[in-house]
Amino acid sequence: MSTFDGLLYDGRHAAFRRVVVEVEDARVAIVEDDARAVLAQSDISVDAPVPGVVRRLTLPGGATIETADHAAVEASWPTKGTIARAAFWLESRWSMAVAAVLITASLVWLIVAVVLPLAAEPVARNFSPRFEEAIGAQTLKTIDTRFARPSLLPTERRKAIEEKFAAFVEREPGISGARLEFRRMPFPNAFALPGGTIVLTDKMVTLLDDDDALMAVLAHELGHLQAKHGMRLVLQSSGVAVLVTALAGDAAGMTILAAAMPAALLNARYSREFELEADRYAYGHLARHGSSPQALADVLRSFAEDKRTADVNDPLMRYLNSHPDLEERIRLAEEAR
Amino acid sequence: MADTAPNEQLFRFAFTGRATEYFRIWIISLCLSLATLGVYSAWGKVRKKRYLYAHTALDGTGFDYRASPLAILRGRLLALLLFGGFALCAHFVPLLEIAFIVLLAILSPWIVVAAARFNARNSTYRNIAFAFDGKVGEAARVFVGGLVIVLLTAGFAYPWYRAKRARFIIARHRYGATQFATDLETRPFFQTYLLGGLIVFVAAAVAGFATSGAAAVRGASLAGTAFLVLVYLSYIVAYAYIRARTLNLMANATIIGPMRLRSTLRVRPLAWIYASNIVAILATVGLAIPWATIRVARYRADNLIARAHAPLQTYARGASRFATATGSEVSDLFDVDVSL
Repeated sequence: MSTFDGLLYDGRHAAFRRVVVEVEDARVAIVEDDARAVLAQSDISVDAPVPGVVRRLTLPGGATIETADHAAVEASWPTKGTIARAAFWLESRWSMAVAAVLITASLVWLIVAVVLPLAAEPVARNFSPRFEEAIGAQTLKTIDTRFARPSLLPTERRKAIEEKFAAFVEREPGISGARLEFRRMPFPNAFALPGGTIVLTDKMVTLLDDDDALMAVLAHELGHLQAKHGMRLVLQSSGVAVLVTALAGDAAGMTILAAAMPAALLNARYSREFELEADRYAYGHLARHGSSPQALADVLRSFAEDKRTADVNDPLMRYLNSHPDLEERIRLAEEAR
Repeated sequence: MADTAPNEQLFRFAFTGRATEYFRIWIISLCLSLATLGVYSAWGKVRKKRYLYAHTALDGTGFDYRASPLAILRGRLLALLLFGGFALCAHFVPLLEIAFIVLLAILSPWIVVAAARFNARNSTYRNIAFAFDGKVGEAARVFVGGLVIVLLTAGFAYPWYRAKRARFIIARHRYGATQFATDLETRPFFQTYLLGGLIVFVAAAVAGFATSGAAAVRGASLAGTAFLVLVYLSYIVAYAYIRARTLNLMANATIIGPMRLRSTLRVRPLAWIYASNIVAILATVGLAIPWATIRVARYRADNLIARAHAPLQTYARGASRFATATGSEVSDLFDVDVSL
């Protein structure tokens, strides 16, 4: 016979009575002082066990008995559900908690470093060109209304660059519909949008003032287009957002803001990888057009010397920055020569 | 408020959960959820909530969370299909984003009511279930109508909206047969949000002034970082202030039959808990999240008491059609947990 103490809640009023429960031969006796009620053991259902939580027995009619005696309940009503039994077993052991930390960390690494990039690439490559163009056009519209003004470069200069660019992308595998857009923005910059548009700022053209250097920059941007980096980044950062929310979802209220930082770090990491990938593409592209990766190294060096981009090499900012260390990129470019 | 009326009794809330115990439940839930692509998260949610409820005690008895993981899984699948698909599309086509916001606005009253109802009827105390009787139509007036007015007043009606929302949610709850009531006033909400906004504004101004001076001497990025940290700290203080004040106001205005709640949260300890929680979570790559959860729960319970002029056992269960305490499963397709 197994006996344990419990509190009986009748379910009609928020009151409880102290009872003793006796289980013997598939019959359960509930004893309170002199009163004694006997039920069939199978008529009583028990809840799934959670470590540190009192067990609840539900009697026919809705009354419940709560007890802290896990062992006695488990002896008479062994937990049936596989999930509940496995969860309770895992939650009761520190060794399993440590293992769970290690497995969770590995899974997060696997998802971030392998699964998301691997899954995003084929998806990004299978968007229809029209769809990509629509997104690119929409993005350019947003940039135009918020950040950019029309270019002030002389028409001949733009024509010259465009012609050179056209020869530069001709017969290039994996790139279709690449075209240039000139804009005036506060910084020297060049960026590729989904659908094939490359935006070049006036400051970039005047800063470089050398066609070889300009083509090196464009080769890098073509690398972004060819690898569909724009769409991949959108897909991967959506994945990161879902993952980080899932991981930190329990951090209530203000604390959830602590999750924004790891998400930003992970996205910056993806972005840096894409920059290096675009650089690698540029080396090959330049070589195919009788140019040398040295041209890219020279451009990067001129950036490094330019005061406006000096912050990029501030060690504090480097981890948060979307572009990798310039020195490293210069070194890689020179090695590729 | 009168101190203690002659026939008034004091009932204490207490939180007895331990971070070490909760950590194990939390990490197993996280690990299995990741490994099962989120499916286990429904079970994990129930187990974590059961632990936190069971260790939140009023007058020595813990609360009980009885939701079925399958109902939660169903709700999550529904939410994923509905919003996940839409959000992904909206990411690419900005026009859809507007449609998405409109859809959310139309569905939000239903979501609020369904989630509150699910949560209430699965929460019990001493084997008597809570209930939420709010109607979708009223929720639409409060939430959508309220938000429209907030937009029309350029945000100035926000405290009014929050007070109205709180009144709706509180007053439509029941504990068994006992309807909740509230005498929450709007004016203190205005004072609270005004001062909260002022804290952020003043801190940003002071931080901007101080760091622009520092920027001349030290590196620009260092000053920028200092500025961000200061502004962020002021956010935490303002958030803690608004949390402490509004939670106190809402609890103190809640009347449950013969009972009134009394909440005495203070800004400084709460701000300290939030700030140290964030630092601890960042420093441990998230492993401190369960500890942070336990700390907040303990502080809130330690600062909540109930006063009643009748013993707790006078609370009775509700009408039989609401007596879901035994879990007589209602096979309603929309009886799901749709919290996002």
